[in-house]
Amino acid sequence: MGASLAAPAGRASAWLTPWLAQLPPPAGELAAVQQRGRRALAEQPLPSAREEAWRFTDLSLLAQLPLQLASSAAPLPTLPPAEPDVLRLHLDGCGDPLAGLDLPDGLQPLSAAELAQGLGHTLAATGCEHHWPVELNHATAGRVLALRVASRARVRLELVSTQPAALLPLRVLLVLEEKAQLELSQVLLAQQAGLTSLVLEAHLARSARLEHGLVALGHPDAALLGQIALEQEPESAVALTSVSAGWGLARLEPRLLQVDGQAQSTLRGLQLVDDHQIADTHSHVQFGGPEGQLDQLHKAVAAGQGRSVFNGAVRVPRAAQRTNAAQLSRNLLLSDRARIDTKPELEIVADDVKCAHGATVSSLQTDELFYLQSRGIDADQAAGLLKRAFCEEVLRQLPTPARSSCPLERLLLEAR
Amino acid sequence: MIRPDAPVLLEIRDLEARVEDKAILKGVNLTVRAGEIHAVMGRNGSGKSTLSKVLAGHPAYTVTAGSVTYRGDNLLELDPEQRARIGVFLGFQYPVEIPGVSNLEFLRVATNARRAEQGHEELDTFAFEDLVRERLQVVQMDPAFLERSVNEGFSGGEKKRNEILQMALLDPLVAILDETDSGLDIDALRIVAGGVNQLANADNATLLITHYQRLLDAITPDYVHVMAAGRILRTGGKELALELEQRGYDWVDQELAALEAAQTRTPAEVA
Amino acid sequence: MSSPQAVGDLVSQPYKYGFVTDIETEKIAKGLSEDVVRLISSKKEEPAFLLEFRLRAYRQWLQMREPDWAALGYPPIDYQDVIYYAAPKQQAKKASLDEVDPKLLETFDKLGIPLSEQKRLSNVAVDAVFDSVSIATTYKEKLAEHGVIFCSISEAVKEHPELIERYLGTVVPSNDNYFAALNSAVFSDGSFVFIPKGVECPMELSTYFRINSGDTGQFERTLIVAEEGASVSYLEGCTAPMFDTNQLHAAVVELVALDDAAIKYSTVQNWYAGDEHGVGGIYNFVTKRGQCRGDRSKISWTQVETGSAITWKYPSCVLQGADSVGEFYSVALTNNRQQADTGTKMIHVGPRSRSTIVSKGISAGHSANSYRGLVQIGPKAVGARNYSQCDSMLIGDQAAANTYPYIRSQQPQASVEHEASTCRISEDQLFYLQSRGIGFEEAVSMMVSGFCRDVFNQLPMEFAAEADKLLALKLEGSVG
Repeated sequence: MGASLAAPAGRASAWLTPWLAQLPPPAGELAAVQQRGRRALAEQPLPSAREEAWRFTDLSLLAQLPLQLASSAAPLPTLPPAEPDVLRLHLDGCGDPLAGLDLPDGLQPLSAAELAQGLGHTLAATGCEHHWPVELNHATAGRVLALRVASRARVRLELVSTQPAALLPLRVLLVLEEKAQLELSQVLLAQQAGLTSLVLEAHLARSARLEHGLVALGHPDAALLGQIALEQEPESAVALTSVSAGWGLARLEPRLLQVDGQAQSTLRGLQLVDDHQIADTHSHVQFGGPEGQLDQLHKAVAAGQGRSVFNGAVRVPRAAQRTNAAQLSRNLLLSDRARIDTKPELEIVADDVKCAHGATVSSLQTDELFYLQSRGIDADQAAGLLKRAFCEEVLRQLPTPARSSCPLERLLLEAR
Repeated sequence: MIRPDAPVLLEIRDLEARVEDKAILKGVNLTVRAGEIHAVMGRNGSGKSTLSKVLAGHPAYTVTAGSVTYRGDNLLELDPEQRARIGVFLGFQYPVEIPGVSNLEFLRVATNARRAEQGHEELDTFAFEDLVRERLQVVQMDPAFLERSVNEGFSGGEKKRNEILQMALLDPLVAILDETDSGLDIDALRIVAGGVNQLANADNATLLITHYQRLLDAITPDYVHVMAAGRILRTGGKELALELEQRGYDWVDQELAALEAAQTRTPAEVA
Repeated sequence: MSSPQAVGDLVSQPYKYGFVTDIETEKIAKGLSEDVVRLISSKKEEPAFLLEFRLRAYRQWLQMREPDWAALGYPPIDYQDVIYYAAPKQQAKKASLDEVDPKLLETFDKLGIPLSEQKRLSNVAVDAVFDSVSIATTYKEKLAEHGVIFCSISEAVKEHPELIERYLGTVVPSNDNYFAALNSAVFSDGSFVFIPKGVECPMELSTYFRINSGDTGQFERTLIVAEEGASVSYLEGCTAPMFDTNQLHAAVVELVALDDAAIKYSTVQNWYAGDEHGVGGIYNFVTKRGQCRGDRSKISWTQVETGSAITWKYPSCVLQGADSVGEFYSVALTNNRQQADTGTKMIHVGPRSRSTIVSKGISAGHSANSYRGLVQIGPKAVGARNYSQCDSMLIGDQAAANTYPYIRSQQPQASVEHEASTCRISEDQLFYLQSRGIGFEEAVSMMVSGFCRDVFNQLPMEFAAEADKLLALKLEGSVG
């Protein structure tokens, strides 16, 4: 299984033109965006391994997937019941997720004018509006979930999506007003061949807080292209935790901009690959002003013939004095046919900063294994325990709704 | 030891200083003669540490009024390294770590800079090693610390011993020890205090900055000064420290409030 | 006065080796063509295999593109505006030093590299290269007694063609990259070292490169072979006069270590770096690679890079042998408008191969200093280990420090560890040293050399002091 996605690349994008031609005509609130996205895709070649950002991850694989737009929603999976104060929305790319719902206090849909003003703003500010996966979403997304969290409000939200045997474009725009707090759990599931395309933008005003937990459990013949763009005003805090496992191809690009610094960003990532799967995280953090803080931990587990890629860019320009940024990439390589590529990337033009990064690649520690074995635990079980502990460090950062739809047992199972 | 005829080493007159925009010292007066041991006590924020930093010439502090003379010369116009070379020593409350710079080399360069000023010949590596090994005994320090980077990975007590070792090598005339007792356990305190006592003589003077009596149990001061709100509020003998220990600092607050009230009443006089 | 500005000022001081030697030089016309390649080869009276090697490389070069992935910016280089061969007008190499033009001896004297019998360094053999030609090699006879060959590469081509044919281009193939191809086509001179089986080279070997002509490119080629159980320590030094035009320097260094052999290669690079506005200076595009072919072999690179307007350089180790060891210790100091993109590649092929990377970058002024490295653990490198440490020190808020460490592992029974940090000279550290009587300049210099300590410790003793001095010199200047 999964072999189809890892087959050698075919010709670059011969499939793209006919695919574009068969798309239904642009319609709905995003018609203009669709038009622009399709024009861009028609002109822009598919990213290739010649580009630094796509060196290890080849998108020509997409040609082998069913990429027609879904005409009806895939059935919802069985999930534990939502917590009473959590609003669970079903994003299926077709229906209106807010239809017939009373929104909790402090949560409002954006007006058409606000949408026109805010949509794409953060993508542009973080420099990814023309990235290929974003244009793909532009070209195909017919709906956007656009919400505002009012000043001082506290909201808990859960977004659940199931990918049909097709292309599922998801677009989300969030505006957090001053001192607003949002806990956002997002679950992306795929149990068949297809492509999930996610573009999520959020703008945080002063002192706003966003806790975002993304759990993406895929299928060996499914691909995920996820772009998360966040803009932070001073004194705001973002904690973004993403977990992906089981996708034939998963590419996540969290991009953060601390507009004037003085904000706190916490990034936690975990990706698991097995068989012929590829998981790729390209994070990008830009400090636009002084005294910003970043705490980043990215973990990967590669087994089978899986390939894991991480690129963590941190940009500290001259305006960003007294930045404090720490980044760590920790990787477990469990098979001699798997491969890990990791590259922290630090660019600094400011002298009074603390920036550290580290990377490790190894198998499970033999002394730890030995310690457990010497207490009577057999080797496989000991390895399992250690692997679990490795993942736990990230998993326990997920907000509870995301966490409960992603029990560790299931995650490790999906990763097989 | 108080000798009224002993030469004045340090004379502080109406000293005012600020850090950034905050006025900290608001008129400090203090005279230190050879052979004397002074203790400056006071609460956190009273200006004790600022006084020590200003005397050593820390660039973050700006003197806005008053004067400091050292053996008759203006101390304030000198760079920090010149002050050290002529015999003013500051023992830091929090000695910084300087990774990569060898402690031994640092001590040698510093010692030779002081010796050059004193008109002594420069010590080569070997002669210096002999000297430093002898002085290590003053603070009962393990020679292994010489091979490490300056203060790097030293415990709190080791850092303070390293400070007193530097004092032993630089042979200062005025040693200002800023909260040298903070963070020390009882054994380390005994060793550090023993070092200070050994180094004190009739020609030099020591300024102990502390807010606990326990250091003064080990080093007997000739004078005790109580600092509050940026000036010296009261001066007495060693019994003043004991009084503080028993009564606490509350009476200082009252005295200060009274003083400030008096000043508010007569703004013309203050100006 | 201990402001960051003052620290920045300290790093600026005039270049001390900027003089030009007035000597008659034989130059060929500017430009590069197949004819020029043939001309160089014929001037050097080379055997056919070498001409073939050059021509093949030239044709490959024509098909290649100049790399643009490094974090470097410079105007396009006109390869037709460069002279590819220049030599001081004295015919062939002289048998005895007495016959060498005294002006040349004087030049090297002035650079601190005395060559004459009376004054030469007692424990270092020196090959002195002036523009495109090696003018003298000291201690050749003494080394020959041990079976060690140390001579210019031109001489080696004549005297030991079988060794050259066997090893040249086997570590860095002529089509390896754009600059290596260019070098393979037009390389002029450089050093050749051969240490036979079981011999520990009795003295340090050193090549000193001097660029003198303003419009000449320098393309040296160095090849060092250590046979089974042999060992050698080799040092390379470089300077150039101050010109307001840029000069091209594209060298290739190949190292081969067989079973149990050890090669230690140290560089103190002090090419002219251009002025404070970025006018002039050397463009330094260098390919250096060592192959640990044998089991338990070891190759260690140490570099102190202080000069050049542009540095593009990644001394690398291919660790083929089982239990082979690769090391890279680097200090790169950039100031003014200098740009350096430097680092290493550690390619682990053999089982239990080990590598260590220690890189210290110091950026001041408007300069840009990038570490770029690759650690690759191949599927067969069971038990391989790598440890990397990359630290940057920033002086002033106009300088850039970038870190791009690429890590790839395909072997679970291997471990890779990378750490990086940035630091500055803090006001508190400066004050601490000053309050002990240490002057501002000396305090800065102590901290910078403390920052570089791990690397300087790797230099041969004679040169560690030299490097420390060089750095101190770069840091000398007016205070505040």
